[in-house]
Amino acid sequence: MNETYLKPLPVPSEESRPFWDACRRHEFRLQRCAACQRYWFPPSNVCPECLSDQWEWALASGHGTVFSFVVFHRVYHPGFRDAVPYPVAIIALDEGPRFLSNVIDCPLDELRVGLPVEVVFDDVTDDCTLPKFRPVR
Amino acid sequence: MKHPGARLRNRYAIVGVGQSEIGEVPGSTSLGLLTTAMKAAIEDAGLTNRDVDGLITRGPDDIYCHHQRMGQRLGIDASFSTSTDNGGASQILSVALACMAIDAGLCETVVTGFGRNTWSRKNQNDATRMRGNIVPQSQEENEFEPEFGYFGAPATHGFGARRHMALYGTTREHFGHIAVTFRDHASRNPCAQKREPLTLEQYLAARLIVDPFGLYDCSLVTDGAGALVITSAERARDLPQPPVYVAGFGFRNNLRGWFYDDHMVDTAAQQASRQAYAMAGLGPRDVDCAQIYDCFTYMVLTQLEDYGFCPKGEGGPFVASGALRLGGALPTNTSGGQLSEGHCEGMLQIVEAVHQVRRDRPPDRQVPDCEVALASGHGGNTVCHSSLLLQRTP
Repeated sequence: MNETYLKPLPVPSEESRPFWDACRRHEFRLQRCAACQRYWFPPSNVCPECLSDQWEWALASGHGTVFSFVVFHRVYHPGFRDAVPYPVAIIALDEGPRFLSNVIDCPLDELRVGLPVEVVFDDVTDDCTLPKFRPVR
Repeated sequence: MKHPGARLRNRYAIVGVGQSEIGEVPGSTSLGLLTTAMKAAIEDAGLTNRDVDGLITRGPDDIYCHHQRMGQRLGIDASFSTSTDNGGASQILSVALACMAIDAGLCETVVTGFGRNTWSRKNQNDATRMRGNIVPQSQEENEFEPEFGYFGAPATHGFGARRHMALYGTTREHFGHIAVTFRDHASRNPCAQKREPLTLEQYLAARLIVDPFGLYDCSLVTDGAGALVITSAERARDLPQPPVYVAGFGFRNNLRGWFYDDHMVDTAAQQASRQAYAMAGLGPRDVDCAQIYDCFTYMVLTQLEDYGFCPKGEGGPFVASGALRLGGALPTNTSGGQLSEGHCEGMLQIVEAVHQVRRDRPPDRQVPDCEVALASGHGGNTVCHSSLLLQRTP
């Protein structure tokens, strides 16, 4: 926990709130269709494959691979002034959906497309936990 | 089998083009710049506002019912008008909508255009400069992006560039050839925003913005506008400019997103270009010059592949061969593109394509005997693509 956390915090919508509540419990959950069993992200109130509205926030593995990544050198927000250069990656989750996050505990020169990663929860404030990813050791 | 759209092939023409001052225009408004460009296009066509009964625009995001604002400024009550919302793919969409509306008998002569004052808006104050304020704050994401430090278009397109590099061995030097070539073209264009020469060494030495992109991989932040007048081929024959016929257009919007499948490498240009070629009865070998939507260097490289100018994955060696230069195998972005002439969301690509087909550029900028020009548009959260083939001889 950091009393002077200066980076932006997510502003959940009614649709995404269960995702963020799960993160606070250190659970990585995705919407999963009860009809066709597929997972999706970002949130939608129907399954994008079969349009079923029967679904749940299912516990996901938290495992995936780096689909692509960039390294920020420019500062777009004052909260990241001391963070540059920092990586932002698209994670191809084992369940199918792609999720944007940070890869941590990984030297920049070891970051690569295809790198296996797993979720790690960063409790950035009392009320907010961000799901980040680290290389699978 | 003949493409159904071939019925419209060469039945409509661009008969007027115009643009405002392009670059850093302090205090400019997007509506004012577009008014200047539309007035110029109407006059270039040898027409007056009373001859125009169709208006299709793309507003800069924050202006409601943008076409109404433009019709009011230009004194046009329209039989058909609307504003589009496909980002950088909107301008070619507007050309196609104009042809379709005229074909349906809804109107006879359409003005389209896009204007922006993004340089002026970005440079309002330190906060807007830091944010790289090119979208209204109301459209910035609330979650799943800013908390991870993900901001701005360079990162979005950088993901595609990185993936292309990983899959095909593409390098920053390859991207550099694109930036250097377009800057050379801009240096010949007195209206371009950036005209000072650029070398590959300077490209590689420039500061990184969002790796793999450095400063010169990124398009410019521009104040400026461009506009077109479109009417039927019959009416075009009575007007002063050589008609530039709309041979084909095509679209593909990968609405499931840039992160979905491999949309960031196999872009929507693949399907859009096939539609446009089929409608026009043309192929990549018929294209004399290409005006490619160059929001970032990488987007040129992948589109060249997707349009069939080289196989997927070989865009790097293709651009390194010098093909894109004036005098090369496929002169591309001959006015400097959005990387150097100025970024008007694909509008200036169409304006340049028209000039090349008219063959009215000075000799050092003109593609000799240009018969067919290609323009592309890309945007709308990076997944909407539009293709336009223009032809001199129907």
